[in-house]
Amino acid sequence: MKKTNAMLALLASFAAPAAFAAGADLAALEKQLNAVGQRITRLQDLTDVEIVQNAYGYYVDKGQWRSISDLFADDSTLEIGGKGVFLGKQRVFEYMNIGMGGGGPIGPKNGSLIDHQQFQCLPTIMEDGVTAKARCIAFVMSSGGWGHNYYEDVFTKEDGVWKFRKLVGPFNMYSGYRQGWVDSVIVNTYPEKFAPYPDLPPSRIYLTYPSYHVEPFHYPNPVTGKPMPPPSPRAGGEAFGR
Amino acid sequence: MSLSLKAVRMAAGLSLGLILCGSVFAASNEAARLATLQTRLKAITDGTTYVESITKIQRLGRAFGYYTDKGYFGEAADLFADNATFQWGMDGIYKGKARIRELLTRHGGGSMKEGPGLPFGRLNLRMQLQPVVTVAANGRSAHARWREWGLLGQYKKEATWGDAIIEDDYINDGGTWKIAARRYYLNFEAPYQGGWASLKAVPEFKSVVAKDFPPDAPVPQAYAPFPAVFVPPYHYADGNLRSIQSRPPVDFPKRPDDALGKLEALADAKELALGRAESVRAIENLQAMYGYYTDKGQWQQAAALFSGNGSWEFGQSGVYIGNARIERALGLAGPQGLEQGQLNNYVLVQPIIHVAADNRTAKARWRNDVLLSQAGKGRWGGGVYENEYVNDNGTWKIASLHYYVTFWGDYDAGWAGKSFPMDPPSKEFPPDKPPTVVYESFPKLQVVPYHYNNPVTNKPWAGE
Repeated sequence: MKKTNAMLALLASFAAPAAFAAGADLAALEKQLNAVGQRITRLQDLTDVEIVQNAYGYYVDKGQWRSISDLFADDSTLEIGGKGVFLGKQRVFEYMNIGMGGGGPIGPKNGSLIDHQQFQCLPTIMEDGVTAKARCIAFVMSSGGWGHNYYEDVFTKEDGVWKFRKLVGPFNMYSGYRQGWVDSVIVNTYPEKFAPYPDLPPSRIYLTYPSYHVEPFHYPNPVTGKPMPPPSPRAGGEAFGR
Repeated sequence: MSLSLKAVRMAAGLSLGLILCGSVFAASNEAARLATLQTRLKAITDGTTYVESITKIQRLGRAFGYYTDKGYFGEAADLFADNATFQWGMDGIYKGKARIRELLTRHGGGSMKEGPGLPFGRLNLRMQLQPVVTVAANGRSAHARWREWGLLGQYKKEATWGDAIIEDDYINDGGTWKIAARRYYLNFEAPYQGGWASLKAVPEFKSVVAKDFPPDAPVPQAYAPFPAVFVPPYHYADGNLRSIQSRPPVDFPKRPDDALGKLEALADAKELALGRAESVRAIENLQAMYGYYTDKGQWQQAAALFSGNGSWEFGQSGVYIGNARIERALGLAGPQGLEQGQLNNYVLVQPIIHVAADNRTAKARWRNDVLLSQAGKGRWGGGVYENEYVNDNGTWKIASLHYYVTFWGDYDAGWAGKSFPMDPPSKEFPPDKPPTVVYESFPKLQVVPYHYNNPVTNKPWAGE
């Protein structure tokens, strides 16, 4: 018995220091694995946010208004062009179904092309890990011609799922096909232009091409880290640069 | 359970285990497992930095486009390293940030003396699309290929299409990626009226800007733009497949039910998540590469991106199976390398990529804008891909490519004015199988089935 005890003590003297060190190492390792795991989650978040934005574009193509409003959080807002602000999923649906689809049946309409192509998406996952912002472009090829719009959208992660919190789609340039943007440009929308009318007035009043408007970038310059400076007050006038 | 308590328990458990086992061998085995875990942590961390670098470079390119669109040329120039170079078309090379700023300002119609902005009626939309990003193994440098699609002009005076390929070099300056060298291979600036199909070869391809603002050095190699067929050199032409590689699929063993085993399982989960994130970027690169090859009629290179039993289906072409048959099917659109005056731009945008939970396969939806010219006739096309991919021991390949045509339209009349039906299966080189889905293109419209559920509700498409 004594011999066994002595043996155990001997073994313990070998093993214990190593095992003790391993215990501390294991705790550190677990922490490090979880830290890098969080960075990996951010990478997947970037992809998931872009998926919501791009899925939106494919649904617009085919007039799938319910699928679109399903992409929005309950307390979401939508503001496109100069129409003003629509509050919540049901009003998102109405803006789409009545405003874009003329209140007709849901789904694609033969002969009416409304491709809302999503280009150049630049998403940012914010520090809290449950808010994201994205600047994107909608390049529209429709039966009527061209459209070029920006988005500065806000997303929220609820129960692990990214959704639209705010869709903000300022128009940039709309034109007919035959002349292109040299002439037949179409000015921004406004609240009374078509039904439905907005829940809140436009949060910003601006002009589209041939005038100048820059929707602020949500991100600082990726190299200098500086926030964007305002544009020249003369931008959009003929005297700019003179 | 708190981490510290867990650690104490682990330490206690380990000590007890070792004592009871009564063997020094166990301790050395534990040490080896711990060392393996440390190595894996390092690899996962490095791999994460690698994928982050790709996303940072994508961000740089896209930020550049948003700045130049709105006359923020100083901010665009700030994305370059201090001693960066910018080769503009055949004009020559401009050196240093200050010169790059002025170059962009002059081409975009801005002002060096005012703040950011553009004058009334100036359009300078330069959309930055279809990146193929390749980060060097040491993480200190990178390359990317981009497509620029320009909508340019001046209200009441002109409307112009721009088409260019960009090949960039980047440096990692202490964690901040910057553009070190840009080669901007302008292919055309075409008038809206008549479009690219109306362009004739010019004896000297120089911009008006270069006359008043001469470059610092000539271009290293001359090229002829459209209607000639010029292939801007690929940074990935040397058989370097890094841009389409990810982690090979792994069957992780069942980990022992001990403290180390729990950490091993945690590392397995992180490694798999990283592999899937890396795969998203690899698949973006792969599909973009396919687009760049088909742009230039490089059917052989495009077909080589498919897995051995890969399949290809385009509109109502029917299905072709295997690399050799795909190559020949692609070649129905023109000779290898195209012919003079042929434009075959397939712009790949709007990816929705889902990598399978085991990182072995993936599915993606893409949109395609098509700009064609043949025999002096311009044509538009639009459509949607639903493709499948396979992780072939760490290299992603196309398992099946299916392009659904939305429309074909005449350039002059537009798609609404004059649309074309899809071609039926080729009689000259018939497919292996008939079309999997029979449909008509615009003016008919149909929903291309989604490979994914609604990303928010997770409900399958219910026929809306």
